[in-house]
Amino acid sequence: MREITLSQAVNEALAEEMRRDPTTFILGEDVAEAGTPFKVLSGLVEEFGTERVIDTPISEPGFLGIAVGAAMTGARPIVDLMFGDFLYLVMDQLCNQAAKQHYMSGGKLSVPMVVRTNLGATRRSGAQHSQSLHALVAHIPGLKVAMPSSAYEAKGLMKTAIRDNNPVVIFEDKLMYQDKAPVPEEEYLIPFGEANIKREGSDITLIATSSMVQVAEAAAKILEAEGISAEVIDPRTIVPLDEQTLLNSIRKTSRAIVIDEGHQNYGITGEIASRLNEKAFYYLDAPVLRMGAMDVPVPFSPVLEDLTVPTPEGVAENARRLCAGEMIHAA
Amino acid sequence: MPLDVIMPALGMTQDTGVILAWHKQPGAPVKEGEALFEVETDKAAMEVEAQGSGYLTSVSAAVGDEVPVGQVLARISETPEGAEDASERSPQPQSSSGTPKADPQDDAVPEGEQVIMPALGMAQDAGLIVAWHKKPGDEVAAADVLFDVETDKSVVEVPAGHDGFVAALLAEQGEEAPVGDVIAIISREKPDAPISRSAKSQKRPGATTALPEASAKAQEPASPARKPSTRPPAAADGRILASPKTRRLALEKGLDLSLLAEHGYPQPYHVKDLETLEQLATAPARQTADTASGRYLSAEVKSDNFDAFVTWTAQELGLTDTNALLAGFAATSLNGKSANVALEAFGETRVYSIQGRRLGNAVQAGEDITPDLRVRDLRFGRLTSVQTGPEEIPVVSILATANGLKLTFECRSEHMDASAAINLLSDFAGRIEQPLRHLL
Repeated sequence: MREITLSQAVNEALAEEMRRDPTTFILGEDVAEAGTPFKVLSGLVEEFGTERVIDTPISEPGFLGIAVGAAMTGARPIVDLMFGDFLYLVMDQLCNQAAKQHYMSGGKLSVPMVVRTNLGATRRSGAQHSQSLHALVAHIPGLKVAMPSSAYEAKGLMKTAIRDNNPVVIFEDKLMYQDKAPVPEEEYLIPFGEANIKREGSDITLIATSSMVQVAEAAAKILEAEGISAEVIDPRTIVPLDEQTLLNSIRKTSRAIVIDEGHQNYGITGEIASRLNEKAFYYLDAPVLRMGAMDVPVPFSPVLEDLTVPTPEGVAENARRLCAGEMIHAA
Repeated sequence: MPLDVIMPALGMTQDTGVILAWHKQPGAPVKEGEALFEVETDKAAMEVEAQGSGYLTSVSAAVGDEVPVGQVLARISETPEGAEDASERSPQPQSSSGTPKADPQDDAVPEGEQVIMPALGMAQDAGLIVAWHKKPGDEVAAADVLFDVETDKSVVEVPAGHDGFVAALLAEQGEEAPVGDVIAIISREKPDAPISRSAKSQKRPGATTALPEASAKAQEPASPARKPSTRPPAAADGRILASPKTRRLALEKGLDLSLLAEHGYPQPYHVKDLETLEQLATAPARQTADTASGRYLSAEVKSDNFDAFVTWTAQELGLTDTNALLAGFAATSLNGKSANVALEAFGETRVYSIQGRRLGNAVQAGEDITPDLRVRDLRFGRLTSVQTGPEEIPVVSILATANGLKLTFECRSEHMDASAAINLLSDFAGRIEQPLRHLL
């Protein structure tokens, strides 16, 4: 199968859906001529014109509000939020308006809007351009949250997101834009709420999202050499979450680590660990561990920045301790 | 030391900048931090400060010029003429990623101006050299395109930046060089022996997604062998620590986890401990559990007779030293004749020299005597089990339980064989349970 970059995969997904559905359009900062700072949208304005690939002023709440209105009146806007960090600016439009219209109108209105944005540290971009804020929107009922972990997922999830009749926020890992993966030529969609078992194992389950999937896979390789068999699962969407696949796995392995690049406090890792604890308690042979980003603003210093996110070595070390039956965080 | 003034990278996608104004005239004095020139990018106009103090010289870009990021625009020299520039060692061009690294190779490189891999984008760590436009030895002008570099976004032509000759190309076409690395040298004089060689590929720092090298200290696979010394002791309140799954399986199989605790297995318990528990549950009450390097036995006895015996010997025989009594029992259990026994109680150790089994013939020995056996009297502590691993000499520990006493014995395999160890503890337990046996 051919291999393309995550960036190309997103570009293809957008182009295909825009050809398929004339009500779709893209708006955001630097999306048309510049094709975004990461060059993900290059070539789209040439094909679809400035009517459907719209450069906006630097006003996130403004253009997200426009998108919500357009979505409620029949269009399918795809909003480009240049950095995930800018989510703070659009909280009212996204969480108070987009997420609630369908409910508050008694089902008469819907907001078929996609917000595509990004996450991920270790890019030396400083504390205001390095955050992974998916937990903020995952907390809000009415928003779906997709987290592709490779080019394959990026394309399939984006196409599903665009066809969804409700608001979807899709987080791409900005460090992964140039990473290649096999992507079929023919059309495919990845349904929401279907986790992907990346690797089968029997001793411990590593549940990882987005950028952390490859960290988990690297940890699994380290552990394999030591005789510990790790299962790696990528939930792919955290809202909706495929609980069943996670529970089936933990019933088999009895141990789990949840790895995510958002801050650990009050984050995705805690949510998933808690659900496993509630629904698989009597199958657990060890506490479910969380591994998120350190609870500090992301440092600009490369040395310090690298220390704030989970690494394969760190995941492997925790897995080792769980499998050896060590007392973890003894009271 | 003169300082190069370069076109800074002010934006994420910026390749070039247009000079809107110079705030200093050539030859004018400049102070570090003063506004030197104004530059316009695709987003905004910005003033650029001088990075050092001196005199502005060698201004090569005029107002209105569009200059590639990283290109030298001028120089800050020590004199208004900047005459020293030619004779001095070349200043190191600055890049947005910090000061350029020196060439890491030991091989000598020719003297001259260093050309570094420029930082063309915010996310760029390295650039791929698509093509060199000059060969080693070629004459080159500052404005000539020296090479094409491909970043993750685009291919950019990079000018030489200095007049002179290509003295060295330190990376080959098709190679990727980290931002800031020296990739070429331009000399003023025509070089005698121009160099062309490959760059050493450098590992990208801090890539968390990179596969780590296999850990040098390869860990042993998790094995069921327990290492008690690394484990925390049981919870003080007597509650047994076990995983939820272990509890559920124990319940389903009708197994009692407290049996593991009683036999001194360290907590918390996991599913793999259930195998041991199943063996314990089907074995006789007095159980031996060999650890890898030694012997471990335990026994439980009632203490009523021993307590009564202690009172009786004190009242009738005037023997008030219970330690001596225990030492006598232990010595007799050890070999029936004579032995030196160290008795630890309340944190103090006394060594008794025992001759025969007569009560009252225990003598406190000097410190130079090496005891044959150690007895730890832990009856008045809170420990419910001890398994500390074999020591220099065999150890008998005495602990209190709800119904009496728990006796444990630990020694190295070479101290005595299994049957001798069983005999010793059985004998000692018998003496404690029925002290009158000692008198017979």
